[in-house]
Amino acid sequence: MNFGSIDGKKMEAEIMEAELVLPNYLSFKRIQMYDKYPKGQSRGRHWKHLKQIIQAENYQNYPPDEPNYVNIESPPSMRPCKRICDITGYEAPYYDPKTNLRYANTDVFKMIRSLPNEHVQRYLAMRNAAIVLK
Amino acid sequence: MPFISKIERQTDYNLFDSSIPIVIDNGASYFRIGWAGETEPRVVFRNIVQRPRLKATGETVTIVGDHDPALLKYFDCTRSGPRSAFDSNVVYQFEIMEYILDFAFDRLGATGSKIDHPILITECVCNPVQSRSKMGELLFQTYGVPSIAFGVDAAFSYKYNQQRGVCDKDGLAMCPGFNTTHVIPFVDGEPIYKGSCRSNIGGFHVTDYLKQLLSLKYPYHMARFTWEKVEDLKMEHCYIAPDYLSEAQLFQQGAKEAEEKTRMWQLPWVPPPTEEPPSEEEIARKAAIREKQGQRLREMAEAKRSSKINELENELHGLEFLLNQLAHVQESNVPSFLAETGYVSRQEIESARSKVVQSLRKAKGESKSDQAEIEKADSATNEKYSLINIPDDMLTADQLVEKRKQLSIKSMSEGRQRLKQKRYEEGLERERKQQLEEEKRLENPELYLEQLRSRYKDLSEKIDQRKRLKTNGGSTNGNGLAGSVGRGERLNAAQRERMRLLTTAAFDRGKGEDTFGAKDEDWQLYKLMSKDNDDDDEEPDEDNTELARISSRLQLLDPTFVPKVETGSSQPAEAPRTRPLTKEDFQIVFGVERFRCPEILFSPNWIGVDQVGLDEMAGVSMRRLSCKDEKLEERLTNSILVTGGSSLFPGIIERLEAGIRMIRPCGSPIKIVRALDPVMDAWRGASAYASAPGFHTQTFTRMDYDVNGEDWLRSYQLKYSL
Repeated sequence: MNFGSIDGKKMEAEIMEAELVLPNYLSFKRIQMYDKYPKGQSRGRHWKHLKQIIQAENYQNYPPDEPNYVNIESPPSMRPCKRICDITGYEAPYYDPKTNLRYANTDVFKMIRSLPNEHVQRYLAMRNAAIVLK
Repeated sequence: MPFISKIERQTDYNLFDSSIPIVIDNGASYFRIGWAGETEPRVVFRNIVQRPRLKATGETVTIVGDHDPALLKYFDCTRSGPRSAFDSNVVYQFEIMEYILDFAFDRLGATGSKIDHPILITECVCNPVQSRSKMGELLFQTYGVPSIAFGVDAAFSYKYNQQRGVCDKDGLAMCPGFNTTHVIPFVDGEPIYKGSCRSNIGGFHVTDYLKQLLSLKYPYHMARFTWEKVEDLKMEHCYIAPDYLSEAQLFQQGAKEAEEKTRMWQLPWVPPPTEEPPSEEEIARKAAIREKQGQRLREMAEAKRSSKINELENELHGLEFLLNQLAHVQESNVPSFLAETGYVSRQEIESARSKVVQSLRKAKGESKSDQAEIEKADSATNEKYSLINIPDDMLTADQLVEKRKQLSIKSMSEGRQRLKQKRYEEGLERERKQQLEEEKRLENPELYLEQLRSRYKDLSEKIDQRKRLKTNGGSTNGNGLAGSVGRGERLNAAQRERMRLLTTAAFDRGKGEDTFGAKDEDWQLYKLMSKDNDDDDEEPDEDNTELARISSRLQLLDPTFVPKVETGSSQPAEAPRTRPLTKEDFQIVFGVERFRCPEILFSPNWIGVDQVGLDEMAGVSMRRLSCKDEKLEERLTNSILVTGGSSLFPGIIERLEAGIRMIRPCGSPIKIVRALDPVMDAWRGASAYASAPGFHTQTFTRMDYDVNGEDWLRSYQLKYSL
């Protein structure tokens, strides 16, 4: 018990010194955090994701030549896609129809055939090609 | 070059007049805040918030930015990871944003009842008005800020570099940032957002890609690859190859340059303690101890034996004495005399005596020769089995029981006799074989050894095969990596074969004509199907003994022979013995990863983002500008500024130049420069901008916002040339 309190004091001192924790009351604020978001009240989600924000912007109601967050987005590339081996990063002339992985040579092929399915899916997920069950 | 946080509390807040603006570069990775007109921001920290619980009290607290991980031991961070206010490059969680602003103003030394300074804060290109207005509301309502201006970080960086002559008033700003990459054309020193474009890829994706690749390459060290560590690795080692495929080819061919370009990270590794062979003294000491123990055991056994002999002799004397006495007792008095001793008849006493004699002999270690016993048995047979040859009907009930007993005893002893005989014959046979082998060996020792070896090999292979089949028959049936999980794993080959037979039998019905049973072999199926056909242990046992014999013989004859160590059956606990881990197992090697990860800035489709890469973005941007003025286009490409955190990769300028040259007409001038400080220039530009005399014309107050409404805020745009 005694040890605990010493530990607690030491901890407090260390944290205080680093001023790690954001204070609850800040004089320069007109509305304090605890007033804005009172404790113990479930507020639910009070923010929108970017997708919802964009939807709410109703960009379709504005002239298309006026730049906005959506229409400044880049188009897909016109260049032929460089295909690289999912494992090694070398140029990948081959593709394994069983795992859908691209591979560079026979050694890599042997390796991907011995990979557990979870790893295969993680490799595929990196280029957004994994099977997603919904 | 890792980014460094700067979070000491400033003390001179009150020295600044309320007309001096506060400048904030609100980047998705780092937050920078300082005073207009200064060259360095006062406070810099990672733009993240953690809300862990204090371990001591269980209270939820707020921690902003990156801190010494050693101090985080007092917090329970299991339920909350670091959170960011950004979705892509747009601020969407204003509660987190508020914590961050709280921390920032606090560290800037703010006192008083509000933040009484104009604020210039950066935002992304074409920030959705919802995000912009929420930010405005937050600053006006919560902090009491008098006026605000929003600007774009990349534009400030371009302007800053333009003022220092790095780039011209017409040009392109390419800004690979944390979540997104922007290209913004500048004409007459003003950004033209109509011609800008954004790909949703940035330094975050590079780090994430590297992190995933490394954890897939080294699954055992996954815990080592924390976000912060991988970020550091990226900053330190990643570079952009002039041509990805040829660079990768270097590595594929194992060229010398590739070897030089490979970096290695040695994880802390402690060599396992090596076992020193015991010294001479140690061996001698141990042998002495063993000897002593053996001596003690032998003494104990000796003592036990002598006491037993003693006991038996006493008993024998007693019995002999009894018999002597019995000889003097009259026939009619025998039962009453014996009643005291516990024996029933004279015969019983005699048999007891003979038993004692026998065990005495055994105890004294006198070998009773088989021959003698047989003779004795022969002589004893007649009296022992006196009742056997007498027909049943001539016997009383008691005698019948006795006769049955005698019969069983006789058959048992005969069986024993036969076994002995058989063993003797087998011994003879073995001897004969050994002699034969010996002769063969003497005749041609080389050939004999050769034969022995090949036989050893055959046998051990056979046994191994059998063992493998029994434990995992699946390794040979080849139906794939993913298929070998689930129920099949748990059955051995024989059991699985049985299951197969059962299922085929079950689903075989109704397929054409049923011819089952036409041949005799068909019925064998049931034998295979039956559950108790698994016991195929007899043959391998034979093989095992044969193998042991050959290996012992080989050990005797062949000095080079080393018997294979049995790993499977002898010590199943130690069976999957792994090789000791070496230093090499704790090395993280970066080869191709060094340039593969940042390459996604140029090929976003590698991580599934179907957008143009950095070099093509320049073309897209100019196309969107559609100025139809070749002179202007030339001016644009002649002043390309690369800024933003992800432009720090070495080689990015050369690569960009090569990429843009491909999309531009031959001979057009191309000049690409990196910003003076790609990370800090945005803040510096903003600081210089906010200190300009015309800055107040670009800000808006709460009143302006309330009067003009959201539509006005939507079209609000800073004029960068003051």
